[in-house]
Amino acid sequence: MTSKDKDAWQPTRKDKSERLLQLTCALLFAERGLNKQQLFSAILGYAAANEPGNEDALNRMFERDKAELRDIGVQIETQNPNGDPEDLRYIIASDSFIWPKHIELTPKQLQLLDMAAQAWAQASLQSEANQGLVRLRALGIAPASSELLGFAPRIRTHEPSFYALTNAIEDRTVVSFNYRKPDGAVEERTVEPWALKNIGGQWMLQCFDLERGQSRNFLLKRITSKISLIKLKDEPIYFDQPDSISVQQSDDSLAEFISKNVAELRVKRDSQAWFHFRLDDEINSEEQATVRFQFMDLHLLAEELRDFALDIKVIQPKELDEAIKSGFAKVASDHA
Amino acid sequence: MPKLNSYNGEERFNFLISLIGYLQNRGTVSIEEVSEHFSLEPAYIRKAITSLNDARAFLNGHEECFFYIDPSEVDEGYISLSENLVIEEAPRLSTRQAAAIAAGLNYLQSLPEFAQDADIPVLQSLLAEGTGRGLSQIHEFKPGSAEAGAELIRKAILEGLQIQCEYFNQRGERSERVIHPLRLDPRPDGAYLRGYCPKNQDVRNFKLDRMRAISVLQEPISESAKSVGEIEDALYVAGLTDTEVVVEVQPEAYRLISEFQAVSEPTADQNGTIRATIKVGHLPNIGRLIAKYGGAARVIAPEEARNLVREYALRALGQTDSIGAPTGQEG
Repeated sequence: MTSKDKDAWQPTRKDKSERLLQLTCALLFAERGLNKQQLFSAILGYAAANEPGNEDALNRMFERDKAELRDIGVQIETQNPNGDPEDLRYIIASDSFIWPKHIELTPKQLQLLDMAAQAWAQASLQSEANQGLVRLRALGIAPASSELLGFAPRIRTHEPSFYALTNAIEDRTVVSFNYRKPDGAVEERTVEPWALKNIGGQWMLQCFDLERGQSRNFLLKRITSKISLIKLKDEPIYFDQPDSISVQQSDDSLAEFISKNVAELRVKRDSQAWFHFRLDDEINSEEQATVRFQFMDLHLLAEELRDFALDIKVIQPKELDEAIKSGFAKVASDHA
Repeated sequence: MPKLNSYNGEERFNFLISLIGYLQNRGTVSIEEVSEHFSLEPAYIRKAITSLNDARAFLNGHEECFFYIDPSEVDEGYISLSENLVIEEAPRLSTRQAAAIAAGLNYLQSLPEFAQDADIPVLQSLLAEGTGRGLSQIHEFKPGSAEAGAELIRKAILEGLQIQCEYFNQRGERSERVIHPLRLDPRPDGAYLRGYCPKNQDVRNFKLDRMRAISVLQEPISESAKSVGEIEDALYVAGLTDTEVVVEVQPEAYRLISEFQAVSEPTADQNGTIRATIKVGHLPNIGRLIAKYGGAARVIAPEEARNLVREYALRALGQTDSIGAPTGQEG
């Protein structure tokens, strides 16, 4: 460790983590809760900023801290026992803070949780997953070390909209974004986001499209704008949790759509495509083999198959062949 | 091991409340053990203890110290929490933390290796309980077809044995390869084997869908292979002879650059188009790398790379056959 690292975390009264710790402890400790004035003089981080004329800044700091604590799972509630708005009390109930009962995890279970959290290494939810793991470690069990060695499943999130959509799904807030269809047309969509699904490596948003009045699926890679919260009078619009029947119907209609999409290709023997499609099981010595499979999206498949363009011939659908070729034609003209 | 300054304020707070819960559960413990348990430097643990001893508030007219850990014991390498007024147990997970780990478990369950694992549903319900307000399923995984060969490779890794296979590299060359397998990285779009390659005397990445006729040899992996430290998650490691290529990508092709740089949400005026520099180990590969996106990615410079892309696309269309085989650091 270098000397610079040693200085990286100087515990000071300005350090946010220490202020949050003091706030949490004070509210856990005071059984009847604390009002704002009590808090502002009790906590060093606030007391230092508690000067006449600085009330707004101090209030903002407190609101930010509350929001931040809520995001990391510390629920600050308010009570007003005397009906006096000046004596609104903030409190953290101890049973909302700790595990409801003593949790027993086996070392193997902890190792699975470890691996599940590690799967986010270098992807959108890395920090949340690691923090969760730290809290699980606090239970005191050490993970088993041998069974799952040499195995490192990883999730990839190449799409910058992933994090914002995850938050919107969790908070159940209506969002809008621009979406580009494969033909190039860009449209604004306003949706209630339900879930993110990874299908064969592609992230898809399952949601309810408010303008079309129907559930829809959108590929994250075709979102061309920021994810914006739709606001009404400065407040986000919240929606109810989708009912399981609607979600099931949406899942079913996607499955039905996929089952109707069948591609058929001829693949040159011993080419890279031959390897990719695992055609060695075909016990014949033909120079070519035919593969048939279902697919979700024609343009995504075209992208995947362009890798093997010289090894394959598309038999059907015709539109797949056209999509592969028009893509190459566009690339050729873009680089002319 | 996370670097000290890689924890931000929120993460430090998270660690501090977790550390209290742990010390409460664990009783007296050596700093070394805590350091290992949380994968943090001992110096970081010492600073965290200072913070805990500093946690206080002015309440009821006097200063209340919430925790006490004797600093002289810390100097001797031990931590003993002798005073704890507030945190009696490990803290619950936040919904975000639980959702992230639950999504990771969903992903594991989508892999053939864990599809039948009885612990995963148990852990899912435990995570839901641990948030205090239930858990909605945010992220689901439906993988493509199972990767043949993965099971055999895992067996070889666990037993420390070499494997042999036929491999198609990015240059389009097919050869018999011996690989000392180290780690299998399933990803939603296909698995990679990270292995020591005796031919290159280095760690290389092997994509499973470029392998066939895999067999496990009776030969143990070499000392050089065993001495390989932790393997980076990033598949791409820049080489000295790489060519820098400036590309412009639309959101549909962000995948091309996200190994090289973090991609942030698009702003209104750029319409999602980003210019970035990528490094290419074997320049003739650029044709295939770019052309697959069908126009969502284009090369700005150098000219040589632009030509390679154009010729590749034309050849794929059957309009020219002027270049050699389609053609990385891979394999």
